[in-house]
Amino acid sequence: MSKFLFVVPPFFGHVSPTLSIGASLIAKGHDVKWFGVTPLADSHIPEGGEYIYPRNDLIEHQDELQRILKRQDDGPACSGPEVMKLALEETYVPVARIMMKGLSKFVEAWKPDVIINDCITFAGALCAYIKGIPCVTTTPVPPDVMGDTANSAPKIFEWQENLIKGLQREFGVNGDDIVIHSHKMNIVFTSEEFAGIQDSMPHMKFVGPVKGRPNHAEFDWERLGKATTPKVFVSLGTLLVDIRKEFFGKLIEAFADAPVTIVAATNPDIFEQWPDNFIVNGFVPQAELMPKMDAVICHGGFNTVNDTFINGLPMLITPIAYDHFHTARLIENAGCGIKIRYKRLRIEDMRKAVFELLENPVYRNASLRIKETFIAAGGNDKAVQLLEEFV
Amino acid sequence: MDAVVSTAKLNSNEIFDLMKQFITEVIGEEFVEEMDITMESSFTKDLEMDSIEIVSFSEKIKAHFGEQIDFTGWLSNMDLDQLINLNLGTIVNYIEECQ
Repeated sequence: MSKFLFVVPPFFGHVSPTLSIGASLIAKGHDVKWFGVTPLADSHIPEGGEYIYPRNDLIEHQDELQRILKRQDDGPACSGPEVMKLALEETYVPVARIMMKGLSKFVEAWKPDVIINDCITFAGALCAYIKGIPCVTTTPVPPDVMGDTANSAPKIFEWQENLIKGLQREFGVNGDDIVIHSHKMNIVFTSEEFAGIQDSMPHMKFVGPVKGRPNHAEFDWERLGKATTPKVFVSLGTLLVDIRKEFFGKLIEAFADAPVTIVAATNPDIFEQWPDNFIVNGFVPQAELMPKMDAVICHGGFNTVNDTFINGLPMLITPIAYDHFHTARLIENAGCGIKIRYKRLRIEDMRKAVFELLENPVYRNASLRIKETFIAAGGNDKAVQLLEEFV
Repeated sequence: MDAVVSTAKLNSNEIFDLMKQFITEVIGEEFVEEMDITMESSFTKDLEMDSIEIVSFSEKIKAHFGEQIDFTGWLSNMDLDQLINLNLGTIVNYIEECQ
């Protein structure tokens, strides 16, 4: 039995796959804890695991932390280069700085055998390096989002390196090595084929989607069972709060009374009334729901992308910001969906795209090919095997 | 068509009009109508061009001006703040100087 510590950021999309492999590790008898800087409801934590929130160590950082979280709402309005700044300079690096004190204390007290840091949660790997603890990184999105900046944009590469080395130096790690990711093992929750990556470095382990995190959301299955038209699942993920009303307003305009059933994951409060062919819930049991769907509309949040293609469904992706554009390109390359950029979204195009996805089998067939690569990648079993071998 | 490499030297007004035409072709007339495109319009912020749109914009410049203008190379040497602040006027000047 080993002790695994997941170090996670304040963004649920990144926490989600760690909850799934954490559940599998617990089932094999391991001791698993999570560490993060925002509270997380107990209902999300697999039974037998524990989430550590270092309340007292965060008091002095609380104002800054809240400012960072609020700043994420600006993401959808930011241009590509502004998002890079927002992400690395205004979010990942300062969150790592905020995390370090509480994390170091907890690691000294609990003495994990392995620290598993999420790819944007630099403090995990940095702390592991300082304390000489083996470290694995988890990457929920296809890697290579920024491309090969060392060659294609040398000044941007230099900016990235300087920010990261500056953070490392603050905690006494001098020298030129980058230690905010594991160089021994990086578990990626997609397939090499979907990510469009060949000859990846040997420590990059593509295990495909993982599943099994607790999700107690309720759902009106009876109402769904009565629907006779094709079912389209729509999600905007957990971020992007500000544009929710606009996005779902467009969706209503496109599909009110159309021959489809829209299953939307969003707080119903944003509108007083929804069309009769819309089933709207704030929280949904997404993994159970997805096999009953015929197509998916989403902005490109990676957990929904994984849930879509592991079920062989076609997707309309409407990228908004962050890594959504990269994901949209991968979907177009694989042929398993259609992309319409959110800022260039016409209602008529959205309607046409959804019916094209439902009626033309090429998208579904391409999605089924991606599904095969996802299943072959091994999922939870492979991730657990890799982690047990790593200890 | 813009696939024909033009050899006539353009002045800055002509370049501006051409850029506006390329932008319209790339992002669509409907979206351009809502924008007031000027020399001060920032490329990524006001015109909201994403990387794929910038690539097709670059291709149009290359198709029109040929090898004399290395727009992509010029962009790739910029730092983040230069990219964030890049406006249409800077691009027009760059093309005018390169001709």
